Amino acid sequence: MCVSSAAGVCSSSVEQKIYVELNETVPCVRLLNATHQIGCQSSMSGDTGVLHVLETQSDLDWILSSGPHPPYMVIMETAFFNRSVMMRMKNSSRVSGVAVIVSKTGLAQNFSPHTTCPNQNTGVYGSELANCNVTVWNPLGNGLSYEDFSFPVFALKDENQTQVIRKCYEDHNQRVNGSAPHYPLCAMQLFSHMHAVTDTVTCMRRTDLQNRFSINPEVLCDPLSDFNVWTSTRPLNSSAKGHAANESVVIAAARLDGRSFFWEQAPAAEGTVSGIITLLAAIQALYPVTQEAPPPRNIFFTFFQGEAFDYIGSSKMVYDMEKNDFVIDLKNVHSILEIGQVGLHSGRSLWMHSDPVSRKNDSVNEAVSEMMNRMESAAAGLSVSVGHPSFSQPLPPSSLQRFLRAGPIPGLVLADHQKSFSNRYYESMYDDAENLNVTYPPGLTPDEQLVYETDAAKSLAEVATLVARSLYLQAGGENNSLSNITADPKTVAQLLYGFLVQKNNSWFRSLLLSAGPGPPQFYIGLGPRIHGPVHSVTRFVQYILANLTGTVTNLTESQCQNPSELSTENKDLFSYFWVSGPASVNSTGEPFCVRASVRLSEAVSPAFELLEYGSRNYSTWTESRWKSIRARIFLVASRELEVMQTKTQQNC
Amino acid sequence: MDLSRVFFTGNSTMNLERMPNEEKLSLCRRYYLGGFAFLPFLWLVNVLWFFKEAFLKPAYTEQPQIKSYIKKSALGLILWVAVLTTWITIFQHFRARWGEVGDYLSFTIPLGTA
Repeated sequence: MCVSSAAGVCSSSVEQKIYVELNETVPCVRLLNATHQIGCQSSMSGDTGVLHVLETQSDLDWILSSGPHPPYMVIMETAFFNRSVMMRMKNSSRVSGVAVIVSKTGLAQNFSPHTTCPNQNTGVYGSELANCNVTVWNPLGNGLSYEDFSFPVFALKDENQTQVIRKCYEDHNQRVNGSAPHYPLCAMQLFSHMHAVTDTVTCMRRTDLQNRFSINPEVLCDPLSDFNVWTSTRPLNSSAKGHAANESVVIAAARLDGRSFFWEQAPAAEGTVSGIITLLAAIQALYPVTQEAPPPRNIFFTFFQGEAFDYIGSSKMVYDMEKNDFVIDLKNVHSILEIGQVGLHSGRSLWMHSDPVSRKNDSVNEAVSEMMNRMESAAAGLSVSVGHPSFSQPLPPSSLQRFLRAGPIPGLVLADHQKSFSNRYYESMYDDAENLNVTYPPGLTPDEQLVYETDAAKSLAEVATLVARSLYLQAGGENNSLSNITADPKTVAQLLYGFLVQKNNSWFRSLLLSAGPGPPQFYIGLGPRIHGPVHSVTRFVQYILANLTGTVTNLTESQCQNPSELSTENKDLFSYFWVSGPASVNSTGEPFCVRASVRLSEAVSPAFELLEYGSRNYSTWTESRWKSIRARIFLVASRELEVMQTKTQQNC
Repeated sequence: MDLSRVFFTGNSTMNLERMPNEEKLSLCRRYYLGGFAFLPFLWLVNVLWFFKEAFLKPAYTEQPQIKSYIKKSALGLILWVAVLTTWITIFQHFRARWGEVGDYLSFTIPLGTA
């Protein structure tokens, strides 16, 4: 029974009476690398089960052994989403799916679904120092994100929808005095059938076979890819690839991405945003001084995308540098300063991590010690202090490791942890504004919240000042210009609001078109191959950099798109951005053209360019494709009718 | 060759009653020989169609030859069924484990399962 309405939306009145579609759900999808598959899979026609809410230990026993209506669809309270419960579910045949309630009530003190030793196989260390022999970086990690589940796991983020589900459960499924409930029972069906299987090698091979021999080729999986963002204090000619003559460059790096157990959910506040904001604020602080009193060396700022998945962005940049396919190459690099997780230092000191293996070489050791000294002298007038951990401790997981694989380069990683991470929610959905202590007093309008300077903003601004001054000294700048280099807490506050609370704010709107509500998510995604234009976070960082370091020009829109026709503009040295302009109450902004030396570079793992899908040296992560992901609840009157009801599809 | 004798089309009937015995024998032979061109279904049709003729009718001159053709067709048919069943069972069971070879041997590969 299928009636098409005038709007073209097919509605079936009988179906609407049976099923309640759940719109605000977030799935867990399947990811593959060279050897394994991780994530979740459902059957092709969805997995169904009788609902049961997991609130107490007796609920767990009911689901796993004593309940009379298996398989069950588990509605899991936050407190039960941990490794031991999920492993028991995985090994049981009575569980057909899990829907996790995402909330702060009942949240444990720590929850990190990432592994204890992130990116251990693609770093620079061999067997002695890899595998966290010296320091376990993420000891609170339970590895759930890297397990393979054969049932769907969804996250319920919307409180109203969770209430609907709970009501259905309470009305029909609840046990009365310990006896089993009777039919009709409330059931849920989850659809998240993934096309790819086994590993990237298999998936890519099958995609190739489909493309060559099938009439209707289906792509099974896509490599994770996006763009890195880079800029420099002195513009670099982007059409001149390979070694740049007379350029000695100090690289300042931060990562742009994060992840969590569920698809496209990655608030990544302490793990990623703290580093991005620190580097952006440092760039803003440095720019005027480097134009007035330029230091001898160029400073190259870069934001790497995809570092959570075996260093996609940094491995690609190093690969391009080695192949002479980038504006500079490794011989141009003087030193590297990377900003790691810096948000939780709260009055304690920051730590400068260095690599003990390359420091066995005397010249590298000397350069690293000089770098540490410069950083300590830059910290002299500030309220942050810096220290260095023990010499034998290896580097934490960082993009610097990929540069060290190519050769010994002096480098430091700045972080707020001496040994293990201070982040108790590393790479999870709970690494959000609250984890960084970014809270606003009640009663502020969004525009007031945008500029309100929290303590976190002031603290990050201090770190940014430290980074900016250290970079200036490292680039050979003079000591007496240092006091002019100060990060602006207001900019940091605006960045914190935009990256952690609400991306649809007046500042971001003035730079480019509006985005959806809520905070941005930092999962790398599939990039321009699939999703059209650049990922939103990459776009934000690109336009913010243009806003902070660019100059306003009076070009028209068409001139802005094609500046090569004008003799005063140089497309090789600069990029040109057409921005919307600040909107006021009376009118929308007047757009104008900004010229900045901000560029994007592709962040696709070299394994996909070399077609080595089973590579051990490069990231091989891909994301599976799927046809539809949805969830619905309905009442089942009996076991037989349950089978019939699950097979009903919308035939429109 | 008169195709209406081999492929029954239009108004022709499958009724062997009205066919003279020599024609029955020649038809049976054609199907028997055709089955050697990797067409075991011809042998199946042969066996099913001529079984009554060969074993249940009273004897006539061509019947021993028809009988022998039917027996040989049945033998060939059983052989084919055995080979195909064995290969299909092995393929269905082991295809996932064969990895690359399994994929190259497959016409359509199921999505989402090994």
